Amino acid sequence: MEPVLVPGPTAGRPDLRRLPPRTRSTRYHRPRAPFCGVGYCTNCLVRVNGVPNVRSCRYDAAPGDVMTVENAWPSARFDILGVFDVLFPHGIDTLRGFRRPAFAVPWYQRVVRRLAGTGAFPTPSLPPRPAPGRSMETDVLVLGAGTAGRAAVETFVAEGVRPLVLEREPVPTPIAGAECLGRTTAVFLPPPRESGPRPFELIASVSDGSAIDVRARTVVVAVGGYDASLWFAGSDRPGVVTAEGAERLHPAVRPDFSHAVVFGGGPRAFQILERFGAQTDAVVAPGSIDPDVARKASELDIPLFPRTLLLAAVGRRAVRGVRLARRGGDQPPFRLEADAVILAHRRLPHPQLFFQAGAQMEWRPGVGAYGPVVGGAGATTVPGLFAAGESAGAASPDRARESGIAAATSALAPGPGSRPTPSPPSDEHNELEGYYQELLTAGPGPGKVVICPCEDVLLGELLEATERGYRGIEVIKRYTGVGTGLCQGRYCLPDALLVLALREHRTPREVGYITQRPPVVPTPLGAFAGLPDEVEATP
Amino acid sequence: MNAPERRTYQVAIIGGGIVGLFTAYRLLRAGAGPVVVLERGFLSSGASGRNGGGVRQQWDSRVTVRLMREAVQDWKQFGREFGTNVWFRQGGYLFLAASPAEVTRLGQVTEAVRSEGLDGRLLEPSGVLRYAPSLSLDGILGATFLKTDGTLYPFPGVWGVYEAVRALGGEVRLGVEVTGVRAEGGRVVGLATTGGPVEAPIVVNAAGGWSGDVSRLAGLSVPNVASRHEILATEPLKPFLDPMVIRLSDGLYFSQTMRGEVVGGLSVPHPTGTRAGVPTSTTFLRTMSRSMVRLVPSLAPVGVLRAWSGYYDDTPDGFPVIGEDPRLPGFFHANGFSGHGFMLSPASSKRVAQAVLGERTDLDPALFSPGRFLDPHRSTEAEGLQPG
Ligand SMILES: Cc1cc2nc3c(=O)[nH]c(=O)nc-3n(C[C@H](O)[C@H](O)[C@H](O)COP(=O)(O)OP(=O)(O)OC[C@H]3O[C@@H](n4cnc5c(N)ncnc54)[C@H](O)[C@@H]3O)c2cc1C
Repeated sequence: MEPVLVPGPTAGRPDLRRLPPRTRSTRYHRPRAPFCGVGYCTNCLVRVNGVPNVRSCRYDAAPGDVMTVENAWPSARFDILGVFDVLFPHGIDTLRGFRRPAFAVPWYQRVVRRLAGTGAFPTPSLPPRPAPGRSMETDVLVLGAGTAGRAAVETFVAEGVRPLVLEREPVPTPIAGAECLGRTTAVFLPPPRESGPRPFELIASVSDGSAIDVRARTVVVAVGGYDASLWFAGSDRPGVVTAEGAERLHPAVRPDFSHAVVFGGGPRAFQILERFGAQTDAVVAPGSIDPDVARKASELDIPLFPRTLLLAAVGRRAVRGVRLARRGGDQPPFRLEADAVILAHRRLPHPQLFFQAGAQMEWRPGVGAYGPVVGGAGATTVPGLFAAGESAGAASPDRARESGIAAATSALAPGPGSRPTPSPPSDEHNELEGYYQELLTAGPGPGKVVICPCEDVLLGELLEATERGYRGIEVIKRYTGVGTGLCQGRYCLPDALLVLALREHRTPREVGYITQRPPVVPTPLGAFAGLPDEVEATP
Repeated sequence: MNAPERRTYQVAIIGGGIVGLFTAYRLLRAGAGPVVVLERGFLSSGASGRNGGGVRQQWDSRVTVRLMREAVQDWKQFGREFGTNVWFRQGGYLFLAASPAEVTRLGQVTEAVRSEGLDGRLLEPSGVLRYAPSLSLDGILGATFLKTDGTLYPFPGVWGVYEAVRALGGEVRLGVEVTGVRAEGGRVVGLATTGGPVEAPIVVNAAGGWSGDVSRLAGLSVPNVASRHEILATEPLKPFLDPMVIRLSDGLYFSQTMRGEVVGGLSVPHPTGTRAGVPTSTTFLRTMSRSMVRLVPSLAPVGVLRAWSGYYDDTPDGFPVIGEDPRLPGFFHANGFSGHGFMLSPASSKRVAQAVLGERTDLDPALFSPGRFLDPHRSTEAEGLQPG
C-alpha cells in the first residue's frame, strides 16, 4: 500500500494532483490510471482514512488525510498479483472453470474470493454513524445547472417560481432566485406501476455522505452527457482517456502526455485539438474527418488518419504507441508512437433519469444510444417531466440555452400539453456499427480487449455468450457481468449493445434497453440510514 | 430460437425460472417425452435472477431440513453435473436472536437440525464473533450456526440447467407468455400463448410469484400470494464475512458474494399482488440501511451500488405446493416457494417430475399437495422460518 497524498489546502474542487498515478484492476490486476475525470470509472479508487472505494477525483482532501491505493500488493506499480494477467492471456473462466476436482473447490474459492473486491473492509478512524439526511418538497425541480439547466431556472424565476436545483458538480456561485445544491446527484426511484398520479420521488446523494429524499411535481432534466469509451486491445491501459478525462486530468495527473493520438473526427475532436494541439501527434477517426478538424490539424501539422481502425494500444504499463489499420481490410496494420489516446469520437446523453421516471425511450441511431422520446418543447411521455440540453438533442451552448427556456416555458404552461410521439423507425446505422463490424473481422489485438474495465469483462466473453445462444443485453449482462460494476455500465454497455446487435443480426433496439438500477451512484449505507422517518413512500 | 419446433408436447411448463427449468431437466432425464418451457421474459427475469443466493438447512420443520440436506448435496455436485460453476460456498448461516423468545425458537430449530444428523450449534453471543467478527453484539442474546449452509451465485445455476435442458432436446421458448389454459371434458389439453396455441396433456405451473395469476387463468382459486421483497448490493469489498447472517427480529439478512459485494435484504410491507412491477422504495433503502449499520457499524461508509426487488410466492402454511390439482386433471403445481425456491429447486424438481410421471413421492400430501388447502381439517404444521 503506497500513500499517495501530500495534504494541502483545497478550494471547493478536488485537487487532482492527489489522484493516484497508478491503480490496479479488480480481477486481473491490470495497470490502470485515471480515465474519465468525472467520477464514473473505477480507475482512481483509493482508501481514505480507512474508508475503501473512494473516487479520488471527487474527494475533497483535508489536511492530514491518509490515502492509499488498494487491491495491489506490494504496490500498484509492482503488483505481484499482476501475474494472473500474464498467466491467463485469454482470461480466467469463472463461469465454467474451477469445478473439479471436488476436493480442490474450497481452495479455488478462497483464491478467487481474494482476487475479487476492490477495497478492504472499512476501518475508519472516527466511529461511523448515519449522516443526518433530510427530505425536501418542491414544485419545480431542475436537475443540472449547466447551460440548459440555468436557462430553465432563469425562465422559472422570471415567472415567480423558485425552483430547487441539484447539480453534481460544485456550484461556486449561487443562482439568483433558486435554491441550488452542488455536488449532489439525484436519481428517480421508479414509481410502482399503476400507482396513479403522484409527485416524482427522487433520492439525492450529497458529497458529504448524506442523502436527501426529494418530492417534486415538475422536473426538468438537464444533466448533459459524457464522452463515451471505445474498445480495442489495451483500451484500459494508463494513457487512454476520454476527452473530458484529458480536459480535467491534464496536466495534474500522470501519466502526462505530449504525443497524444486523438480518436474522433467531429466537433469534440475539434475542441480537443484546440486545447491539446501542441501535445497531439495524430488524429485518427473511425469515419471521415470534419473539414474544420482537418483545417485545424493542418495548421498544427498534425497528420490525419480518416477511416482507420484503432486495433491496439501498445505498452503494458502505459501507452507507448497505437496499432492502426486503414478500413477496408486490404492494407497491413501499422504503428504510431504515442503516449496517450484521447477518445473524442462520441458524446452520449445521460438517459437513465428519464428511464427511471418511466419515460418512453427510443433508439437514436445518430448517437448510437437511447434517449427519451422528446417533443419540440422538451416534453417527454411522462406528464411533468421535461428534457433540456443534450438529452433533448442540443449539441451547442446556444441550442442548450434555447432548449432550457423552451422546457421551462412548457412546464409553466397550464394544461396537460401535447405528448410527444416516437420517431418512426429508421434504417439509419450508427457509424460505430460498421466500424466495430470491421474490427471484429480484423480481430483487434494482440492482447486482452477489456470491454468492461470495472469488472474486467473481456470482449471474448461477450462473443462466447452469443455463440452459446444467449441473446439480449439483459441476459448477456447477467451472463458476463458486463455493466454490473461501479460505473453502472456507462462505459461498457453502449458499446456492448452495438457488438451484440452485430452478433445477433438485429438492430440495437431489439437487443434491448439498458436498465440502470437505483441508486446509480454508489451511496453510503450511512446516508440512507440517516434519511428522516416522516416520508413514507408506500401509497 | 423462439420459433416453436412443434405444436404438441407431453409436458408444457409455464415459467422459465429455476423451478421450471429444473423440472424440465428432470422430466427429460426420465424420458418423459417432448417438453417445452414457456417464459414470457428473458432467462432469469423472475425471482431466479433476483434473489440472495442463500442455501440453508436450518428450518422449523424437519421435512424442510431433510429436503434441504439433499439439495445441499446436489448443489455441491452441481458444477460437475452441469457445465457451470455456481460457486456454492459453505460459509455457514448465522441466525441471531434478540429476545428470550427468539432464543427459544432457535433452540427448537437447532433441535430439528440435529435430529436430521446435521451439526447445528447454539451459540452464546460471544461465540458469534468467531464466525462474524465484524458484527456488533449490541442486543444479541444468542445465535445458531450451521457450517454446511452457504451461498451460491444464482445466474450460473440458471444457465447450467437451461443448457442441460436444451442438450437433452427440451425446448425453451423465451418471450412467450401463457395467456390461457385450455381444458376439455374437465382436463387440460393445452395452453393459449402469445406465440400460438400449444397442445399438451400436462401443464406445470412454475410461474413463481405469478403462479396465482396463472392458476386463475385456469379458473382455479389458490391461496398463493405474491409479495414483493427488496434487496440491495454494495460495492465490492475484500472478503470479510464468511456466513450468511440473519437477524430474526426484523428479518435482516446479508452475505458477501464471491465478487465481494454485500448482498442482503429485509422485508418492508408492500401491497400484495404483482401489479406494482419491481421498483425500489425509500422505505426499504432507509430501513435496510439502518438495520445493517446497527449490526455492522463499520459498513456505514460503504456505498450501495444497486437495489432491486422481486416476488416471493407465499402460501398460508409456508410449505410449497407440489402435485396435480385435484380440480383439474393435467394441471400440476410447482410453486409456493416463498423466499427459498432457488435453494430447494434441485430437490423439489425431483418430486415435481415424479408427480408428473404418476410416481409416488416421499412428500406428505397434508403438507405439500395442492388439495390440502381444500381440506377444512388440514394439518396445522407450518414452516415459519421465512427470512433469508
Ligand atoms: C429478493 C429475493 C431474495 C431471495 N432470496 C433467496 C435466497 O436467498 N435463497 C433462495 O433459495 N431463494 C431466494 N428467493 C426466492 C427464490 O428466488 C424463488 O423462490 C425462486 O427463484 C423461484 O423460482 P421460480 O422458477 O419458481 O420463479 P421465477 O424465477 O420467478 O420464474 C417464474 C417465471 O415465470 C414467468 N412467468 C410468469 N407468468 C408467466 C406467463 N403467464 N407465461 C409465461 N411465463 C410466465 C416469469 O417471467 C418468471 O421468469 C428470493 C427471492 C427474492 C425476490
